[in-house]
Amino acid sequence: MWDTLQVVIIYSLILGALYLLISLGFSVICGVLRIFHLGYAYLFTLTVYLTWMFMKELGFGLIPALLAMVVVQFVISYLIYKGIIMKYLAQEEIILTGLLLISIVVEQVTNYRYPIQAGVFINTTLIDGSTEIGTAVISNQLLAGAAIAVLLTVLFILFFLKSKTGLAIRALSQDIYSSRLIGIHVEALYTLTMFLILIPVIIGTLMVAPVWAVDPTMGTLYMTTAILVAILGGLGNIKGTIIASFLIGFTHSFVSFVLGEPRFMNFSALLLVIIILIVRPQGIAKSEALW
Amino acid sequence: MVDVEVRRDRIIIRYQGKKWDWILEPRYWRNTLIWSGFLILFPIISYFVNPILLNTVITANLYAAVAIPLALMTLGTGRMNFGPNFFIGVGGYTAALLSIAYGWGPLKTLPFAVITTLISALLFSPLVIVARGLYYILLTLLLPLVFMEITFIYTDIFKGDVGLAGIKTLVSTGAVKVNFLIAAFISMFLMLLYLWVVNKILKSRYGLIMAAINDGEEVAHGIGVNINKVKILAFVFASGMIGIIGWFYAHYFGTFAGITYLPLNFMIKILLVIFIGGRAQVFGCVAGGYFIAFLEMILIVTLGPIQPVIFAVILTVLLFALPEGLFGLYRKRRYREYMPTLHVRR
Amino acid sequence: MSEILKVHNVTKSFGGLTAVHDLSFDIRKGETVGLIGPNGSGKTTLVNVLCGSLYADSGEVEMEGKLIHQLPPHKRCHLGLSRTYQIPRPFPELTALMSVVTSALCGKDRINRGLDDAAAEATHYLEFVGLFSKRNILARDLTFFELRMLELARALATSPKLLFVDEVMAGLNPGEAVKAVHLIARAKEEFGLTIFWIEHVMAVLMEAAERIIAIQFGEKIAEGTPEEIASNDRVIEAYLGAGWKKGNCS
Repeated sequence: MWDTLQVVIIYSLILGALYLLISLGFSVICGVLRIFHLGYAYLFTLTVYLTWMFMKELGFGLIPALLAMVVVQFVISYLIYKGIIMKYLAQEEIILTGLLLISIVVEQVTNYRYPIQAGVFINTTLIDGSTEIGTAVISNQLLAGAAIAVLLTVLFILFFLKSKTGLAIRALSQDIYSSRLIGIHVEALYTLTMFLILIPVIIGTLMVAPVWAVDPTMGTLYMTTAILVAILGGLGNIKGTIIASFLIGFTHSFVSFVLGEPRFMNFSALLLVIIILIVRPQGIAKSEALW
Repeated sequence: MVDVEVRRDRIIIRYQGKKWDWILEPRYWRNTLIWSGFLILFPIISYFVNPILLNTVITANLYAAVAIPLALMTLGTGRMNFGPNFFIGVGGYTAALLSIAYGWGPLKTLPFAVITTLISALLFSPLVIVARGLYYILLTLLLPLVFMEITFIYTDIFKGDVGLAGIKTLVSTGAVKVNFLIAAFISMFLMLLYLWVVNKILKSRYGLIMAAINDGEEVAHGIGVNINKVKILAFVFASGMIGIIGWFYAHYFGTFAGITYLPLNFMIKILLVIFIGGRAQVFGCVAGGYFIAFLEMILIVTLGPIQPVIFAVILTVLLFALPEGLFGLYRKRRYREYMPTLHVRR
Repeated sequence: MSEILKVHNVTKSFGGLTAVHDLSFDIRKGETVGLIGPNGSGKTTLVNVLCGSLYADSGEVEMEGKLIHQLPPHKRCHLGLSRTYQIPRPFPELTALMSVVTSALCGKDRINRGLDDAAAEATHYLEFVGLFSKRNILARDLTFFELRMLELARALATSPKLLFVDEVMAGLNPGEAVKAVHLIARAKEEFGLTIFWIEHVMAVLMEAAERIIAIQFGEKIAEGTPEEIASNDRVIEAYLGAGWKKGNCS
């Protein structure tokens, strides 16, 4: 009993931290831009497959490939922002469908070029092997990922709370009109936010890629978790996202280790979200603000 | 009980203190009848030209037949449901499982497919009231994906990856081609029926109430509209209609696999039928359905394995290039609904 | 005369701010009661609570003997409560006629009423407010005064017994203001309404209201005939500050 509890708690913390990396970007984009970046899924797929492409097709080493991938991701983000989001901010359905279509296009291209049999693998393992904490055996890579997740989240929070730009972004997320009135450069900050959220996603995906599965549909899987965490935590609220990540991490561990049915992970998370939404329609977060 | 009175220009139906006028205006029927005539001729022509066309016609009709109740649901609930294929899954699996387990034919499984869809819609209907705009979109997006996961988990029942086989087919005359033709006509009939029903609803007082709710929910609530009832009714009724299409898919193909209908790819096609066809205008759904089905067929035949990529790219481009959809192009050249007024600004 | 609305100790807070505090008053059938108070005194919150957009934290509201403070807004509308909004909230994509048809259709549970019958009734109300010629124009293309009239027509079409009029003078020039006041007086007579009138413009209430209630910071500070209110010390203090009390001016 105590053994299982240990395993559940440890995995809740690890999973929660990793989910935080995945969902933080989604939550911030929803909070700041007030749109649902339904195309978020393409970020995961692109991170892995672009690096693979640079390594295999163009013969780059690991580090140059990673750098090239980051540059390409920034460019694509910028193009999406300018081309789609800016133009259709008023027509929500078109943005949502358009972004979703982009992630589908990416998935289809990836599936065509590197179908699941192609054996894509990115060796971004920082630490090999696994550690025993109590009765739980965890891969060191995941531990490192969790530690980096916590560090990144703290950096994010410090940025939004303490820096001037962070304050401007928080103001922006609450009222565009007033922000413009006091001289906040709206477009530049929006672009900055879009670049900012790339960081946790790329790092998170690179951390878990060696351990968890890599296939063209991985975007959908991670995106589902990100969506559930974001809705549960209250869209755009960092505090809520943190709480929600660990809640969902706990649900997943509980379902996997106590109930012994890991296949029910997503379903149980969805049930949890629906129940909490009925009780508290705006999610866990107390306010609509970023913090 | 139900009292029907026929007058010169209308039919009046009275039931339990309520009264409905059905105004007969034959001059507005002309265009619809002409287009319906074309549509009905189409399968007959395809029958003689190439059976692949028959399949495409059926697919087109079914896409349109899912998009039309989705349009009703969007107008009635005031939000966009990003997971209508969930109800296709429910209806289809009910029909498939019942047919395989008990050997029932399509007519016997139909009421059960409808009932399970209605019940599942009722189960998730609190979402319509509780979840605000974007939350609703995300949660409805997840419903079919989670259902698909369940079909994989309980793979002994649902046969998630392979799909259920051995479902009684809709029609079995001797010849395969004749089967296709009859199925095409049934799908055409379904689609036209849906078109007529939804159009009538939207033009009636219920459409007016839905428009009022969309324009100002709180205000409508204050003038006596029971907004929760209208939203739930729209949601459940439209879901039932979509469930019937699931039933059709199961019996038409004889097999039913969740992986065909539940993932995002299928869902986005339905959504694009609405967006490319003409936003929430029911007649646009028909144009969109035919356009997407035929585009897909042409790409498959000409391009081969790269088809999904090109298809997705074309759809993305069209989404942004046609803000009013295909039907918008048609409407623009004919007339505008109202003339904006010039008034002196103070 | 019988009471049509009884408000008992209604309180409504938003977080730490109490907008309406322990408010009680009655409205008798056929009266025109005015409600005045400085900005932020809780007038619109009170109307929202009475009409059902918000629910009171405590207290009771009784209409013709029925407790209504827990009913949803549409049920209150069916019982005879109707309101206009301080800033007009039309249905922007519906024509003027269709907006009024909606409320004629849904305002009351009536038998034997089809869409056409509701439309006929709606034209009657549109003509009453003078918008018949604009009936096919989309609500978003109407001028501000016409929007106010549309609000009134929409509220009247639900056949109310009690009509809440929320600052109908705001934004109207003097000619339009006179028309609006006359219209409301005619409506009251023709349709047999009771009117609860929230207003900032004193001159209007002095003439139109039989009784005025004054509130400040969510509490009732005075109640009486217009003349009594105009000379009430606490009311003057609420609007002008303590220095203006009689005898304090140097």
